[in-house]
Amino acid sequence: MSEEIVSVQGLHHTYLPGTPLATIALRGTDLLVRRGEIAALIGPSGAGKSTLVHFLNGLLRPGARGQVIVFGQDTGAPECDLAALRQRVGLVFQYPHQQLFERYVGDDVAYGPRQLGLAREEVRERVRWAMDVAGLDFESFVDRHTFSLSGGEMRRAALAGVLAMRPELLVLDEATTGLDPRGRSEVHALLHHLREEAGMTILIVSNDMDEVAEQADQVTVLHEGRTALAGEVHKVFAQRELLHRYGVVCPVAADIIYDLGERGLPVASGAITVAEAGEAIWQAMMP
Amino acid sequence: MASYDALRHLTIGQYIPTGSLIHRLDPRAKLVALACLIAAGVVAGKYSNALLLLLLTIMLVKLSRLSLRSMLASLAPVMPVLLIMASLQLLFYGGVTRSGGPNRLLVDWGPLHISTASVRVIIVTWARFATLFLLITLLTSTTTASALTRGLEGVLRPLNIIRVPGHEIAMVGAIALRFLPILGEQLEAILQAQASRGVSETRQSRWRFLANTRRMAQMVVPLFVDAYHRAEELILAMQARCYHGGRGRTYLVVSTPRVSDYLTVLVGVSLVALAGVLQYSILP
Amino acid sequence: MSSTLIHVARLHYTYDLNTDAPIEALRGIDLQIKRGEYLAIVGHNGSGKSTLAKCLNGLLLPTPDQVGGDVWVEGRNTAQPEALLDIRATVGMVFQNADNQIIASVVEEEVAFGPENLGVPREELRQRVDQALRDTGLWELRERNPRTLSAGQKARLAIASILAMRPACLVLDESTAMLDPLSRREILALVRQLHEGRQVLPHYMINEQQNLSSGLTIVMITHHMDEVLGADRVLVLEQGRIVLEGTPREVFAQPERLKALGLALPPAAAIAWRLRQCGAPLQENILTSEELIQAVTASVGVRP
Repeated sequence: MSEEIVSVQGLHHTYLPGTPLATIALRGTDLLVRRGEIAALIGPSGAGKSTLVHFLNGLLRPGARGQVIVFGQDTGAPECDLAALRQRVGLVFQYPHQQLFERYVGDDVAYGPRQLGLAREEVRERVRWAMDVAGLDFESFVDRHTFSLSGGEMRRAALAGVLAMRPELLVLDEATTGLDPRGRSEVHALLHHLREEAGMTILIVSNDMDEVAEQADQVTVLHEGRTALAGEVHKVFAQRELLHRYGVVCPVAADIIYDLGERGLPVASGAITVAEAGEAIWQAMMP
Repeated sequence: MASYDALRHLTIGQYIPTGSLIHRLDPRAKLVALACLIAAGVVAGKYSNALLLLLLTIMLVKLSRLSLRSMLASLAPVMPVLLIMASLQLLFYGGVTRSGGPNRLLVDWGPLHISTASVRVIIVTWARFATLFLLITLLTSTTTASALTRGLEGVLRPLNIIRVPGHEIAMVGAIALRFLPILGEQLEAILQAQASRGVSETRQSRWRFLANTRRMAQMVVPLFVDAYHRAEELILAMQARCYHGGRGRTYLVVSTPRVSDYLTVLVGVSLVALAGVLQYSILP
Repeated sequence: MSSTLIHVARLHYTYDLNTDAPIEALRGIDLQIKRGEYLAIVGHNGSGKSTLAKCLNGLLLPTPDQVGGDVWVEGRNTAQPEALLDIRATVGMVFQNADNQIIASVVEEEVAFGPENLGVPREELRQRVDQALRDTGLWELRERNPRTLSAGQKARLAIASILAMRPACLVLDESTAMLDPLSRREILALVRQLHEGRQVLPHYMINEQQNLSSGLTIVMITHHMDEVLGADRVLVLEQGRIVLEGTPREVFAQPERLKALGLALPPAAAIAWRLRQCGAPLQENILTSEELIQAVTASVGVRP
């Protein structure tokens, strides 16, 4: 069993406590992420996914109720080193233009490494690597004006900026929402590359169940600020009734398998992706 | 700056319906009354009229059934500026006040002069500032953006004769109000994203102007770019809905003035007069 | 009355025309959109679909070049400034980001904005707003501040605001891209209702004195393949040109081509394709989950 790098237990959080606009975002949430896996966080909008994710790199700190332990550090403790935490946990937000602020792309990507106090050569090396991995050609983009890039290019630049810090845990908050299929598969390929080559652990927050079924190893379902379900991805998606109650749709492939089973086809249950469903149906169809 | 929640706090611009008397007033009457009260605030330079105005404003807030506490809480971000201003005035103002009146020197030591006049100036300035802030928040919290637009347009209509584009001005104001909270949220997201990459959260010392300027630019540039893109999209959306300025427009909601509205204007005008009288009276 | 609502001929559009880096977004589009049709326009980001959408109601005008290029709505050219108001009231457009379309701070005032601009008299304004609110299920929320609405509700508000103008056509430019799956389904169901012009919406039939379908014409710009399934016709754009055209069934019959164009098959079609690759005796052009299930159970001879 590999190392637990994120352990959230019983976390509570209220925005603007004590004011008329107070909203309870989390009411006892749990989250577990192990090293090397691709984990997913799903749930209807307003369930608290973004809030939970903000605890992982110390943007929010736990108050009286709940515990957040990341890489063995209790983020609620006063002596927790936030700067170190933010190097190890890279958070990519949904809208790239919120993350970019330097005039030139190269400077923006280099910002993180420079803040870490690295030597100039090392910084350059990292920028080159990060841009390459993110899909931005170093030579042509390093001197471009950040805000003159297209939407897709900005997305890659923002990603490069986070990758340049060489995080061990990469968290993507709805990073594929709004992308076309090609953009989406690029991101997926990137995630696998990062896991294989750079040994990164990945956490994706997503609304796309098909994406989660294809990419994730384990999934946590949030509902109204609580962890409703968590576990290996096939096991979670097998609990259809529960998921519907929690406002989560199942992957289309899983629905198809389920319906076929209901109609009497001897198809093995548990398939959740297109490939798995194809395989399972074929097995059932062969005499 | 660890609490990013604070930025969502912007109560300026957010319409909060409570069904109070103030909510139901004609927006034109409210605008005219606001202008009068602001004028009164400008005139008021003494304890008597400044504090009276503040008291009246607080009563209005109560009348509107809004939360005085949360309004004052949004003043929090501006506190540092006020404190700096206050300290400067306290320490150096010591000279003669415009309205004359008793002025006893309390401390006189080198460049420092602290007198009762400077104390009065500080208190009066705070009172005026609080009054102004509460009045504007009161207006925007009790009047929907559309009502404000209508009100402003109505008030500016007489100026059409000299080619002042009243409707367009009002529309600009309404949209600005509508997007203020959105930009507030954007700024919060920007700061969070930057903090996640190691941008220092701790406020630089006041004297490191260059670092502070750079920090401001880091925050302002992305925000500006965001606002610009939103503006572009909004323009398209408005055009798609056939917006072409104020000519030929009709209105879903039309307000006809009632007795309460005329009374409001009357009260506003009287207060200006009262403030003026008190200013030149012998009261402190 | 003609059955062609929008006619696009040799449409070209170039961004940043007079700079040193002009971008040719549309390179010659020819298209006729029929009244009552449900048309889906798909393509990867950058293929020109949003640009095309904006040309349909004159938000963008064809870039003049030697070849020409025109867009006519109900016979009126979008290049005529005096026709633009009518054109935009006829072809209503809903954009991707609901927040950037909403101006008012009260839901019903937002819905009124469009017809107010058209100078609709007050009595009728009230009627239109009420009807649009009911049609989109927002009646209960009519006095709320749009900021308090969920993303799905805001999307419905954007649609209601256009419906109040009583358009003949509704163009949705990736309006569901940012929504969660449940909201997306709601919006799609709403759009389908509007297209079919059900009993709920009788007044939309008053305007058009024609003998064709009396629902709204729908133009759906999207890259979500499942949103394409309900369409009558699909256009696939690539680099500013129409490269594929046909019914959803015809278009999805070419998965490799779609993949090369940066698109994907809907899951059921993808599974069907895989099964046929393995040799399963299923018919071609299976699109929906229901069709797949029926085909598989029929092939295996299983009775429910």
